[in-house]
Amino acid sequence: MKTLIEAKNISKIYPSGGEDTVALKDINLELKQGESVAIIGKSGSGKSTLMHILATLDRPTDGELLFAGRHAHNLSVAQIDHIRNKRFGFVFQQFFLNARSTCLENVILPLTIMGISAAERTRRGLTMLEQVGLLDKAKQRAGELSGGQKQRLCIARALITKPLVIFADEPTGNLDTENGDIVTNLLFKLQKEHGITLVIVTHDHDLAKLCDRSLVMRDGRIVAPDSEQQRRV
Amino acid sequence: MKLIDIIRISQKNLFRAKLRTALTIGAVFIGALTLSLTNGLGNGVKAYVNDQLGNLGVENTLIIRVKQTQQNPVSTDVTEYNPERQVGTFNIALLDTSDLERMAKIEGVKEVFPDRLPMLDYMTAGDEKYEVAAYQHVEGLNITMAAGELVRNDFPNGITIPQKYVEPLGYASAADIIGGTLTLGYKDSAQTQQEVEVTVVGVQEQSLLGNTNIVISQGLAKLILDDQTEGVPALEGKYMNAVVKYDPNYSEDEVAKLKERFETGGYGAQTVQDQIGMISQVIDAILIVLNVFGVITLVAAAFGIVNTQLMSVNERTSEIGLMKALGASRRNVFAIFSIEAASIGFWGAVSGVLVSIVIGTIVSDLASKNFLKDFVGFKLIAFPVVPTLVVVVGIIALSFLAGALPSLKASRLDPIKALRYE
Repeated sequence: MKTLIEAKNISKIYPSGGEDTVALKDINLELKQGESVAIIGKSGSGKSTLMHILATLDRPTDGELLFAGRHAHNLSVAQIDHIRNKRFGFVFQQFFLNARSTCLENVILPLTIMGISAAERTRRGLTMLEQVGLLDKAKQRAGELSGGQKQRLCIARALITKPLVIFADEPTGNLDTENGDIVTNLLFKLQKEHGITLVIVTHDHDLAKLCDRSLVMRDGRIVAPDSEQQRRV
Repeated sequence: MKLIDIIRISQKNLFRAKLRTALTIGAVFIGALTLSLTNGLGNGVKAYVNDQLGNLGVENTLIIRVKQTQQNPVSTDVTEYNPERQVGTFNIALLDTSDLERMAKIEGVKEVFPDRLPMLDYMTAGDEKYEVAAYQHVEGLNITMAAGELVRNDFPNGITIPQKYVEPLGYASAADIIGGTLTLGYKDSAQTQQEVEVTVVGVQEQSLLGNTNIVISQGLAKLILDDQTEGVPALEGKYMNAVVKYDPNYSEDEVAKLKERFETGGYGAQTVQDQIGMISQVIDAILIVLNVFGVITLVAAAFGIVNTQLMSVNERTSEIGLMKALGASRRNVFAIFSIEAASIGFWGAVSGVLVSIVIGTIVSDLASKNFLKDFVGFKLIAFPVVPTLVVVVGIIALSFLAGALPSLKASRLDPIKALRYE
């Protein structure tokens, strides 16, 4: 399998007064095409910071990051914006939907940022809404949806650019068990259908078990890396 | 992002906090209204002055005075007495016949004649006597006539009178008085009452220039003035101004050089255009003072825009964070907020200017029907396209500048921090 993202000796240090806070320490990992990886750990373990760095939302203090073999620090800001826009999809615990805009407008936001024409956006947006079962809600305001529907809408938004990687930060964190299961099933189904790499940050071990492998983090280090025995058969 | 999408998003955001946006637009509206009305007033007056004085037709004419030594009101210098210098009222130095002869020899001068200002006591058609003052006719002077024609120097006793005298003199209309005989009364140098009979050849339309004085020929002016100054050395052959005709083909450069030649000769020379320019400058100065009020209002409104946009950025922190996380560039975010700020200016400016045009038109109409009814073609408040557009564009630019700080703040938001904000 092709390696999409490679992290080499990644460290992240936050300067805070006299003593620096070490958020990440010597992280090495590879994300291959089509695999699903869970990053688990307690809050403060550095799992969110790691995801942010892998997703180019944050910059490491030290170490190297490669996208499809290219060094991140050789890429311009515009190129990195483009990677996030076109190659990455994001699903957040708090959804981050625009409550006043319609479901369709929310779903097509990445395409709007990409500069796709309105007609093309609508066409692809409706297709995507259909895949997550929200086609009948296209003209409704996102604020009127239930929590589960909101997260399905977010999945649709994350998938609309046909990304290579989806970063999901506690995707079921704000949902009850039933809706959490619906969202989880949908996420994995679409991930497999489209051959997307899925990175899930969670403290939910049940959710982590659904992934091909899990990285357990503690105090900014991966303590249980790449455990083949966790791989689902 | 496509520009159209950026505009669409910013317009949508603009009307999310409707009351706040409306109030901010209201502040800009008031500034735009003030500025547009004061501008309109200035433009109306200036257009009228230019229209009235710009078409005088005395193109190749200079008005000459002796270079003045009147003191600058803010200077403490005093000037030494010069016995050669002949002065009249207010220490205005006078020209005499030798000056006129000297001027005639200056290169480029075609004709020199004194600006004679005879002092008239009254004008009458036989019954009532009315106070009157007279200009001396200058060849080429083009005062608009309500009836009849201009004064001609080859018909010395022909005069033109302002429209306002027609009825008091006992005539029904301007056309009726043409060819009528009037009497002008004045005192000679011995203070004896004298009269001279004149014929009305024209009636001046009511305008800036035509409303005040009658116009008499050079011959008549000379006749009366000679009678008034004969035997009085302080007055005889002394004039405040002289009129010089130069080659009509002179370029601006050549006119400037001609003026310099007068300057070196100890005279001050002005064209009619220079004098109109001075009137325009006075109007401009008044206009600037009025505009300052509009501008102050707009500056206050600009702070309102800064405030509104800062609130908007704060409210939408997570939204901005999301857009940046999804790949929107700094420039995109800056553009969204800048266009939002500029739109506040746009709506304020457009509504302010439109309302000012409505108010201005109504006021102009009322004025034309009332206290300005005799001033044909005087539109008190005018809205020429270019200055009006300048006001609108200027306000939009100001709003854009006011929005720059909040827009910059938005564009620099760190997506992670912004997403953690909620």
